[in-house]
Amino acid sequence: MAEDPFLRMEGIRKEFPGVVANDHVDLSVRRGEVHGLLGENGAGKSTLMKILYGLYSADEGDIYLDGEVLDLDSPQDAIDAGIGMVHQHFMLIQRLSVARNVVLGMREPSKSFRDGADAGGLLASVGENGLVRSLAERFTLGLDEPEAKIRRLAEEYGFDVDVGAEVWELDVGEQQRVEILKALYRDVDLLILDEPTAVLTPNEAERLFETLRKLTDEGLSIIFITHKLKEVKAITDRVTVLRDGKDVGTVETADVTRSELARMMVGREVLFQLEKDAVSTGAPVLEAEGVRADDQRGIEALSGIDLTVHEGEIVGVAGVSGNGQKELAETMVGVRESTAGTISVNGADMSGDSPRAFIDAGVSFVPEDRHQYGCAGDLPVMHNAAMKEFDDERFGGVRFDYDALEEYAEELVEEFDVRGVHDVTDAVADDLSGGNLQKLILAREIARDPDLLVANQPTRGVDVGAIEFLRERLLEQRKQGTGILLLSENLDEIFDLSDRILVVYEGEIVYETTPAAADRERIGLEMNGGAESESAQPEAVADGGRPVDDGSSASDPVGRRGPE
Amino acid sequence: MRLDVQLRAREDVPRWLAYGTPVFTVLAALAVSALAFLALNVSPIAAYEAMFVTTLTTELGITQTINKAAPLILAGLAVYLPLRAQLWNIGAEGQLLIGAAAGTWVGLNVSMPAMALLPLMFVVGGLAGAAWTLVPAWLRVRWGINEIITTLLLTFVAVDVKSYLVRGPMQAEFGFFPQTDSLPTDATLPTLFGFDFYAGILAAVAFVALTYLLINETRFGYQITFVGSNDEAAEQAGMNKYRIYLFVMLAGGALAGLAGITEIAGVQGRLRAEWDPGYGWTAIPIALLGRNGALQVMLAAIFFAVIFVGGSSVGVALSVPAAIIDVIQALIILFLITAEFFKRYHVDISIRRPDGPAAPTPEGEV
Repeated sequence: MAEDPFLRMEGIRKEFPGVVANDHVDLSVRRGEVHGLLGENGAGKSTLMKILYGLYSADEGDIYLDGEVLDLDSPQDAIDAGIGMVHQHFMLIQRLSVARNVVLGMREPSKSFRDGADAGGLLASVGENGLVRSLAERFTLGLDEPEAKIRRLAEEYGFDVDVGAEVWELDVGEQQRVEILKALYRDVDLLILDEPTAVLTPNEAERLFETLRKLTDEGLSIIFITHKLKEVKAITDRVTVLRDGKDVGTVETADVTRSELARMMVGREVLFQLEKDAVSTGAPVLEAEGVRADDQRGIEALSGIDLTVHEGEIVGVAGVSGNGQKELAETMVGVRESTAGTISVNGADMSGDSPRAFIDAGVSFVPEDRHQYGCAGDLPVMHNAAMKEFDDERFGGVRFDYDALEEYAEELVEEFDVRGVHDVTDAVADDLSGGNLQKLILAREIARDPDLLVANQPTRGVDVGAIEFLRERLLEQRKQGTGILLLSENLDEIFDLSDRILVVYEGEIVYETTPAAADRERIGLEMNGGAESESAQPEAVADGGRPVDDGSSASDPVGRRGPE
Repeated sequence: MRLDVQLRAREDVPRWLAYGTPVFTVLAALAVSALAFLALNVSPIAAYEAMFVTTLTTELGITQTINKAAPLILAGLAVYLPLRAQLWNIGAEGQLLIGAAAGTWVGLNVSMPAMALLPLMFVVGGLAGAAWTLVPAWLRVRWGINEIITTLLLTFVAVDVKSYLVRGPMQAEFGFFPQTDSLPTDATLPTLFGFDFYAGILAAVAFVALTYLLINETRFGYQITFVGSNDEAAEQAGMNKYRIYLFVMLAGGALAGLAGITEIAGVQGRLRAEWDPGYGWTAIPIALLGRNGALQVMLAAIFFAVIFVGGSSVGVALSVPAAIIDVIQALIILFLITAEFFKRYHVDISIRRPDGPAAPTPEGEV
């Protein structure tokens, strides 16, 4: 390869107290390639990219862009050098229009005050006045030129984004395109995407990949951070693998298999096919009949759910995000009050009972948002390990036995291989990476040997090694006779683990099947509101993942899409 | 040459900073207060010497400090305990006044031997303080109404209630002043061990120990801490956060009520209309300085006691307005807020020469 790489990071080292996040990492990216950056959570991907984007400074090592040394003190320096980043959590202001979001920090004065512009009725001398100019640059905003430029960019790369729409009106995929536009508007040559598909449906992800291909055709270089092997194979040209802060190597994607990549990333063989033994199912542990519930805003989110989970059975609930999964999971564990219907656990009617009563009845729960509901972030691991068991007599009577708690937490951490905990009394939950926190939460919920386990998105945002571990644990628990209600947006997960598959759409179970009998396409259709929507508006499904045949949807993205 | 200041978010808060904050805060406040002394043409060194050294080396200074510390410790706990569950009891002052009035009423109208009467006064004072938080606690639990506002506003009601009582039902029979009769000897706190300070300090220290044990050693304390850290997770874990809210608010009110009656049964001897101790307000910076634990609350309360006692002797000895104490107190609060900023951000300061690049920034802490 004769040409020099566009970006070179050499011998990057970054140490945080107690951890070497990057240990002499090299990365070189060619012009016009999609370069994957692969690693488990906590492998140092984000640190490396934050160094490249000027958010952290490296302890050692150099960065060269186009052969010249880069000295990055802030994101502004990175942007000036032509580096853009799309964060996992979008940096958009919901109330502002797309155009205003894009020009944020790069305002153009209004037309009358621009160089060489027609003064538009103003006296030329006023328009030329230094003081007036500097005030105008600060206080006026001209959106005409930027809007034209954004439209030009959008057209060039095939984004159909309405520049006048406010961000809150857009769905997640569209918001991501706005983030990419923001970077393109700043004329970047190198775009960093931090786990861009984490928030997207499979269809939206496919669309993103098309966009990325167009960008690289235009000579842009892209760094694509991910821990999903499938995506590495689908979109990247080359991939650099990090493990425990170390650089494992860079390979041509075409030359490696998924298992080889997984081995590089995890350091050992990873099983993609889980061993699922046949387990005879027993009596029903959870029976729900006609359950209705409201969401946070008081709008009905569940409209008559009937479902049954038996001992030793995993019931998978598939659905597009926001169709009532959160409310379904919460209602089944007593955290959310149902407005109608009955919920029985082990045959006893528990409708209207407190979360405590459900816990005592042998119900465990892995909530979808680990930080908001799953732990107390600034308390030590040991406090979090006993969050559900604090009432147990092994932790003493009125006097709380912290020694027993410490021992118990250490056992869980050991057994579930929760890493990054040097001391359970000292390390707080927020210090753990996503995967390790999830292991701790699952450990806590499983250690109680529950009769029913409700798990909402148990492996979302978790790295491959941890996913494998978590799934194996779920299957093992199924063998122990626990009935499991698994809600997931990941169809592969639903297929691999479930004994029965339910599809939830707009708060109702619309379809039931088994993995053996299931047809993925059919499930995909049902997730989006049934067969009609596909024939009617296939494009809309690809865009937003939301149905379009539903006239009641107020923020129907199709209605106002398209450049005017 | 120009000063170049850059902020970077901290990746984590170093331990020394988390625990050292109260000390740095106090030192910074005293350093800035020195300017106020300079403006008054008083040497800050002489002033601080009079404030701290004289106060802590003379018998009178120590006695007064201990007497001041007793109600301040109790009031500090009254704010600290709800704060553990992330509730803000801003109205400790009102609970303190109500507790003082109720306890005084018992002392004046019940005749019993001191061994029974004093405990009864304390119990009634505590219950009255707790009763004063009942409405804010209930509003918070039932409707989620912000306790900062309700406890604060009820303080103004309490001030008027006290004022009415000492001018009306509780006013001394043969007197023109808006005040109650003096408490009988059986209703006043004894002094301790042949010293001149009152037994109230024993109650204060006992409650520090109790609070410490409650938070650090009991199952209930575990739940209080958990609710304070993440109430949504606590609810999912089956903890009854409302029971905890109710408990910490009522217990806080009771502690404030005890602070009130401690002061009346000790130093004051009677309830007067112009008695406006402000301990319930000072309790807020005390609880913030001592938010890491009950023992730290006690240390912070003693520190403020020294400032109050030392401040008034500085006022007398060096003819400085007593308002200097308020200045120090206000600065402590300001620096506490500033400290939160420094806990979150790392500040790099470098000097940039007009024509050169920025000087390399040392990785120095602030």
